[in-house]
Amino acid sequence: MSQFRTFILALIASFGLPWLFLIVAPAIKYQALTQVAYDKDRDGMEGLYPPAPINRQGQLVYAREGCVQCHTQMIRPSQLALDGWRKGWGQDQEGRPTAPVRSNTLRDYLGEPFAFLGVQRNGPDLANYGWRAPERSVIHQMLYAPRSLHDWSNMPAFEHLYTERLAQGQASSVALKLPKKLAPKEGYEVVPTAEAEALVDYLLSLKKDYPVPGESTAVAAAPAAEAVKK
Amino acid sequence: MQTSSASPDTQADNLRRAAIDKSVKGPVLFLFLNGAFWLMASTVLGVLAAIKQFAPDFMGACSVLQYGRLQPTHINALVYGWGVQAGLGVMLWLMARRSGQELRTGKSVLYVAAIFWNIAVTLGLLGILLGRSTSMQWLEMPAYVWPILLVSFLAFAWPMVFMFGRTFRPEGFMVSSWYILAACFWFPWIYITANVALHCLPGLGALGAGINAWYVHTIILLFFTPVALGAAYYFIPKITGQPIASSQLSQIGFWLLATLGGWTGMQHYMGGPLPAWMPAIGAASAVLLLIPVGVVGLNHHLTTLGKHNLVASSPTLRFVFFGALFYPVSGVILALISNFSTGATLQFTQAWYGFQVVAVYGFFSMTVFGAIYYIVPRLTGCEWLSVRLIRNHFWFSVYGIGTIVVTSLVAGAQQGGDLNSPEMWDQDFMQLALNLRPYIIARAIAWTLITWSNVWFLIHLMLMVAGLGRRSSAPTLLEHDHEEVLPHAAHA
Repeated sequence: MSQFRTFILALIASFGLPWLFLIVAPAIKYQALTQVAYDKDRDGMEGLYPPAPINRQGQLVYAREGCVQCHTQMIRPSQLALDGWRKGWGQDQEGRPTAPVRSNTLRDYLGEPFAFLGVQRNGPDLANYGWRAPERSVIHQMLYAPRSLHDWSNMPAFEHLYTERLAQGQASSVALKLPKKLAPKEGYEVVPTAEAEALVDYLLSLKKDYPVPGESTAVAAAPAAEAVKK
Repeated sequence: MQTSSASPDTQADNLRRAAIDKSVKGPVLFLFLNGAFWLMASTVLGVLAAIKQFAPDFMGACSVLQYGRLQPTHINALVYGWGVQAGLGVMLWLMARRSGQELRTGKSVLYVAAIFWNIAVTLGLLGILLGRSTSMQWLEMPAYVWPILLVSFLAFAWPMVFMFGRTFRPEGFMVSSWYILAACFWFPWIYITANVALHCLPGLGALGAGINAWYVHTIILLFFTPVALGAAYYFIPKITGQPIASSQLSQIGFWLLATLGGWTGMQHYMGGPLPAWMPAIGAASAVLLLIPVGVVGLNHHLTTLGKHNLVASSPTLRFVFFGALFYPVSGVILALISNFSTGATLQFTQAWYGFQVVAVYGFFSMTVFGAIYYIVPRLTGCEWLSVRLIRNHFWFSVYGIGTIVVTSLVAGAQQGGDLNSPEMWDQDFMQLALNLRPYIIARAIAWTLITWSNVWFLIHLMLMVAGLGRRSSAPTLLEHDHEEVLPHAAHA
């Protein structure tokens, strides 16, 4: 029987070690993670990092539709991949910025119950989508009928997040402006549901490249702080 | 074969085996049958998900059938509906046989647990399809499902541990039993950890994503792998009639897997927000795992050496042999996607899907098919009906899986190359989407082939469970010329 006990103990030790150090200890330590303040002299800006929380209601829609299957939310450092140099993947929407978009830190996802870092990248990364997002109506059209914008797109159409209804009086200001082929019948209009609005709010709140306090890039990226205030 | 001339000793042995088989018959067959059903469901979903990935308009814009919902349903059906369920069946039978114990009490508990397992899986998969997905990999099922699955699993694990404890003979190293016993411990431990961390703690942000990746890797390495290896270590010596080549190698293989397996996973998010040491240690252990993988592969190779003709004739050995062959293959693929040089290219690409399929289907499921082809005739008292159906199952599975794994890896290299190509820095994803298309079409075709084989497997299994198999004392072999080569033990 003693060998049985040895076996069990060895089993517990061999798995308990990674369990303790890789999962339990970091999870406990994570609870102490909080926002940090920018230092005006050092960082050239004020406020807290990370400044703005994401839109949780929209994130739930993001989760249940399985957007993570094709969209990541994680910029890799340039020694590993070229994510940071791709056009529009950071705050700077101009071509060839002077510095790559920074890779993400643990704090970027503070306040999110679960960070949707993603499974595959069949579509573009969305970590900093809020910066490059077109106007609201275009995002809605993209969600409603992706192929009306890109005929090669392999993105599903989320028609169930929109309702087609009888247009009463003046057309609704949120009604989708669709190309003829997709347009509803005469007198009808397609409007986003509350879920679609929440999802778009969430997508617009995705800005995970705020300068990190105490890092030299913070100074270079100071304009970001201005944008935050706006 | 020569039961008439067998000594009284062998006859007593056979009676004892029959009694053990009879005691676990009901629960094991229930698990196999339901598992086979979910497997078929999963492969059908695999076809649909693949089609939806290159043709999102296929079957309209119905919310239930969007890729983002179909793909997790497909994987979850494969993992929980088929994988864990069929794995439990094999574990229970193997543990009873290896420890020479009948299942004395608690059979009704096992039925209840198995029924609840299937109810929970059904609820969970419907939950994903109807819009309750959590979008955590392999844990997409709504949060209320996991306690049911956990309790059901424990209801099965407990009698197995009990059987093992009651008969432990300290002089022998029993590699099959060890693997299975370890799987009984690891699964609940991992499952509780991941679910508590992700569903009960107030929110772990990016660390939660890391724990999620850890969960997927450890379930593969510390549940699916030990169950499949336990079965391979049992059936390969059993059918070739040769003892396991090296006891030392099997011990090294076991303990290295046990020590390294728990550290892997976080490398899935290399270059991500996690503290750098986490992906680093994950990548290091994933590459180091090549040692136990190679050791076990070598051991199986040495055990089969000289008996390769049996691979052609015995359905069990054929499936187990190829399953065991896929173990080194999946180990190499894991190393490829985990290290920081090739892994950086293959990260977030189809290669990840390729790894899941090769590990869960190519390695685990093929081995379990072999086990099922051995176990079911002994439980039902009749032999498999048709050689052709078994052959059909084997070849369609092998070619299907091979196609999926190869195309996923090549697609991953292509996709990773496109993502990291400096020329495409200001391009949209058109080129990437177009380049991916042929591979995904190939995947859809491959899943169709596998679905075809699984439909027949399910029908074949249903006929067996219904007791409509061949009434014969000779097992169904794929090639009859070699029948006499088969050692007596293989029929026991």
